[in-house]
Amino acid sequence: MGEVIVVTSGKGGVGKTTTTANLGTGLATAGQKVVLVDTDIGLRNLDVVMGLENRIVYDIVDVTSGNCRLRQALIKDKRFENLYLLPAAQTKDKTAVSPEQMKVLSEELRNDFDYAIIDCPAGIEQGFKNAVAGADRAVVVTTPEMSAVRDADRIIGLLEASELSNPRLIINRIRPLMVKHGDMMDMADILDILAIELLGVVPEDESIIVSTNKGEPAVLDRGSKAGEAYRRITRRIRGEQVALMNLDIPDGLMSKFKKLLGLH
Amino acid sequence: MTRMEHIALKGTRDGLILYFDPGVEFSVVLEELTRYLRESTEFLRGASVRCFAGEKGYADEELRALTTLLGEYEVELAGWLKPEEVYAGSVVLNPKESPPWQEEGMAEGPCLFVDRTLRSGHSVQYEGHVVVLGDVNPGAEIVAGGNIVVLGTLRGVAHAGATGDRGASVSAGHLRPTQLRIADRVARAPDEEVEAVGPEIARIKNGQLFVERLTGTMWRSSLR
Ligand SMILES: Nc1ncnc2c1ncn2[C@@H]1O[C@H](COP(=O)(O)OP(=O)(O)OP(=O)(O)O)[C@@H](O)[C@H]1O
Ligand SMILES: [Mg+2]
Repeated sequence: MGEVIVVTSGKGGVGKTTTTANLGTGLATAGQKVVLVDTDIGLRNLDVVMGLENRIVYDIVDVTSGNCRLRQALIKDKRFENLYLLPAAQTKDKTAVSPEQMKVLSEELRNDFDYAIIDCPAGIEQGFKNAVAGADRAVVVTTPEMSAVRDADRIIGLLEASELSNPRLIINRIRPLMVKHGDMMDMADILDILAIELLGVVPEDESIIVSTNKGEPAVLDRGSKAGEAYRRITRRIRGEQVALMNLDIPDGLMSKFKKLLGLH
Repeated sequence: MTRMEHIALKGTRDGLILYFDPGVEFSVVLEELTRYLRESTEFLRGASVRCFAGEKGYADEELRALTTLLGEYEVELAGWLKPEEVYAGSVVLNPKESPPWQEEGMAEGPCLFVDRTLRSGHSVQYEGHVVVLGDVNPGAEIVAGGNIVVLGTLRGVAHAGATGDRGASVSAGHLRPTQLRIADRVARAPDEEVEAVGPEIARIKNGQLFVERLTGTMWRSSLR
């Protein structure tokens, strides 16, 4: 029986799609059978990030509305046999899918896969409700900015109110130099405010943009720092204790991160 | 509800007790009681109460006036209590009043316990006091008629004494509100970062919102 993990954030553009692609690909490299589900209906782009755009025939709305069977809509990844994508519909809107339909779909995915990673749209409306409806676990992505943290906090509150308690946090786009100069929102503050378990810290990295454009997730790039962070996040999702990568940030903060990762 | 300043009604295991402020003339007590009875006829009809006025004694005609007044509302005066009798596990029916056991630096009233952290987007509104057993994050707010106590860190918006009580206070383990209000007074967070100092309390003093550290000494002095 597999697990359905939703990747969410509240604020847009903080790295949900990037996280979904890298975490899913990371799990596939580890031999897991994985499906990535794009629920950002109307603004789909997980297919682009995965480099699979030109293979789309059916989409999630076709599946939930019974236009086609799940198997027909799943797109097999070009690198991994055991990695699939269920793309979002581009020409419909978020009300084309209901939370009940997502629950049914999630159940089906749970039976067929080890992991289903759901890419959630920004916001707290219908799209969010759909994305979390069938999930077993949640990952909350934020960047070190007050507005993103505020929205992440809102999302955590909503997750707690639904049955998805204990979400885990990814802080994305950390810039070590700005941390050193104290120009970024204090990371310790973020952790204090959100007060949830840390899943990982991903540095700002140009290779993410390059890899996005190439349709080749950074987690596959041995030379990418962000990719390294996602490799570690992947192992943590699977329950491993993994040391924090060297982020080139002050020692005090490193030890705070380590503590929140349950490392000593 | 009528504002009662010199009388209080309390329900105890042994029945209802009416407290009269021993510091004021009987006429004041009688007038307030008349108003109270007029507004809560149904509640008290057929009840039997005992009265307490501390060490104060009333003249015979005053006592007769009291019995007559109660009688008009079908309330029976069942007797007078002695000072040593007025204690024990009881519920105050009119929380606005200060019963005799209440000393300087004590307050009571209905209270809402919030057993978790209030995250962004949450709003808690309550007539009485609010106690949060967690944090109040930025983007969350509490509006309370009474006091606000946050055991963790208060980073959101807090409005105590929202219905006008300038005696209300806001206290927190870490007081870092985005905005703090007491009655009609507003204070903003300072624009620069402040060092953590531990528990603090905000209240109005001489018409101004003041924040001070909650120290052991302070409690001792106010509870003495
Ligand atoms: N660690 C990083 N370093 C550099 N760029 C990044 C990083 N993470 C994400 N980005 C870039 O930020 C942009 C937004 O990322 P992404 O699409 O993953 O966010 P999102 O949360 O899915 O956005 P939306 O809410 O619009 O769906 C992309 O251009 C991506 O390449
Ligand atoms: Mg996205």
